[in-house]
Amino acid sequence: MVKQGVVPDELTKPFWDAANQGRLEIQSCSACNRLQNPPLPACSQCKSADNLEWKEMSGKGKIYNYGVVYDCPVRLLQQDQPFNLAVITLDDDPGIQMYSHLPGTPVDDVPVGAAVEVIFEETANGQKVPEWRVVA
Amino acid sequence: MAILISFDIDGTLEVGDPPGVLTMEFVRKTQEAGILVGSCSDRPISSQRAIWEKHGIAYDFAVSKHQLPDVKAKFEADVYYHIGDREDLDRQYALAAGFEFFWPDEALGEPWLPLDGKSS
Amino acid sequence: MTTQNAPTSMYRTTEGLGVWEHKGKVAAVGIGHSPTTRRWDGTAENTMGANSIFALRQAIADAGVDPADIDGLVLDPVTTTGAHWPEEQPIPMDVVNAYNQTDDPLDGIAKLSAEWILKNMPELKNVKFTMYGMGCMSHAIVVAAQAVGEGRTHTCLVLKSWHNLEGRYNQSGISATDTVPGTFAMSPGRTLWGAPGSYGTALQFAEYCRKYGKSHDMMAPFMANSRRNGLMFPEGYWAQHRPEALTAEDYLNARWIAKPANLFDNDIPIMVSGAYLFTTAERANDMKQKPVYILNHASSRGAQRSILPTLDEVEAETAETGRKLYEGAGITAADLSFENMYDGFALFHQFHLEGLRFRGMQNGDALDFYQTDISIEGPNPVLPSGGNIGSGRSRFWMHTDCIQQIQGRAGARQITGIKPEIGVSGGPMPMGGNFTVWSASPD
Repeated sequence: MVKQGVVPDELTKPFWDAANQGRLEIQSCSACNRLQNPPLPACSQCKSADNLEWKEMSGKGKIYNYGVVYDCPVRLLQQDQPFNLAVITLDDDPGIQMYSHLPGTPVDDVPVGAAVEVIFEETANGQKVPEWRVVA
Repeated sequence: MAILISFDIDGTLEVGDPPGVLTMEFVRKTQEAGILVGSCSDRPISSQRAIWEKHGIAYDFAVSKHQLPDVKAKFEADVYYHIGDREDLDRQYALAAGFEFFWPDEALGEPWLPLDGKSS
Repeated sequence: MTTQNAPTSMYRTTEGLGVWEHKGKVAAVGIGHSPTTRRWDGTAENTMGANSIFALRQAIADAGVDPADIDGLVLDPVTTTGAHWPEEQPIPMDVVNAYNQTDDPLDGIAKLSAEWILKNMPELKNVKFTMYGMGCMSHAIVVAAQAVGEGRTHTCLVLKSWHNLEGRYNQSGISATDTVPGTFAMSPGRTLWGAPGSYGTALQFAEYCRKYGKSHDMMAPFMANSRRNGLMFPEGYWAQHRPEALTAEDYLNARWIAKPANLFDNDIPIMVSGAYLFTTAERANDMKQKPVYILNHASSRGAQRSILPTLDEVEAETAETGRKLYEGAGITAADLSFENMYDGFALFHQFHLEGLRFRGMQNGDALDFYQTDISIEGPNPVLPSGGNIGSGRSRFWMHTDCIQQIQGRAGARQITGIKPEIGVSGGPMPMGGNFTVWSASPD
């Protein structure tokens, strides 16, 4: 599946740059010692923008939940319908979630709770994006 | 040759919302030509049946958009057509199910009929 | 007159606030609805602005109020059902010029300002208070109730309008582009991964079913009941245009949108406007209709930790909403005659019900409850309005129904299994919405 291309903006550039280099980085507030995803202009807990940084993750997680998309609003993905769309939680902090199409996992045959590891896929404009594969 | 034609409703048949160009009389004549007819629509199945019954058409099937493969499995025909007005919900579903596809205005010319006007 | 968004101080968002200081001092006395259509037909007569004027005038007439006595207007300026005016598409100036226009030519077509309403309803010559309650009618209602309670306005119109244009829901704009901005790509809703609108709710429902051993099939009686109630709502889309039932067979054979959410779990976007007239309890006594008193309003501002709310987060928030509603109204769950919580998407209605502890319900009970008599004729009417599933996406059928049920004006939909004395309505989302308690009595 080829996703829409991504044009990094100021808020998210570190995330996308890291992805291009094969690293998963998540925004973190050093004052609160707390990760947050999606990234925000300020910490959602202390509301300060002064202590935000990006932390590299282990790239390991679990499948928390999933659905199967049959009627996708995004034109570029419609040819791939139906497809899995799962929510992954990070082992580094199970409160942090990421989306995944679970490449390699049959449609609607998703092992909820299974271990997954991050990979990086190219989108339509070459920008890489984190994806997740079930660990064999 | 046995022919089966699946009609979308909204945007395809005159009773649709919005109305389409194909009249119920057109469907009736199609059936009288020996063709299996029915509907494949996002309308509730009970509503599809009610439409056919209201117009006195003894439909062969009434199914949801994703159920064209079931129609093909149930009815034996030499060729299967679906007529609809939407690229994604009609044309793509139809082609994926092994149906040939016509837009409603194309269907007005009854392109499935041989020159003698009879299907079998 | 510049119209501002309602300040956060007008919302009751936390527990421990005690009984609402204006409990029973604000009443709904008038209701107005425009006709429904699936989409705008391009004519001046069918614009969202025209619908708005129609609904407002209906509400004024229904209340029997002299328009000159109206001094307030609260509305939601955002009117999209998901359809946005394409940048490249010319704006039809014949339609624009059919009305007294503001500086924005799309005002009255694809957005709505208080200024546009006042320019086009000259009879509202004494409106001094205008305010925006952004989001939906549930939002505008709590703002108007608070405004009347605080004395900012004594006779206030409340309005919500929707426009719908050609094209499939959410499939234009950024969904059709080859690239997206980085922030959008990572956002919780419509994303790089192609999540349909109902995806988040579908996942919460999936988790709910796994945790409590329930199934999607168990929604069928609720869906059939909602459509049945909606077909008895003459103001609704299905009743007006396609009076077709939704049987269990229909529901269970529908195609998936985002499994486990199917086509009918999603509400149909339509064009419609709805309006109410609120006033003080004192003034309400002199008006045409029986007053329906507002005992409390409460708001949820729940925020998930990450991308999608987890089931735990949803259940904690809806339970808190229930406690806030009861605390401010000075009632308990046992006092509720009926409920009209939001249902667009159908798969989250059970979260609202369980949060309210409706009929003693605990988490995980609602789908079993749906297998019992939840009709308007029974002792436990669930969503007597039929909600968005029953009548299309307005997000206000449930408020109208609360008022009409308590006034005894719900027609064929009138609850008969119990006496409708206290009802609750609101939404939209379990993790973020605004809710109102309505009552036949101010006490």
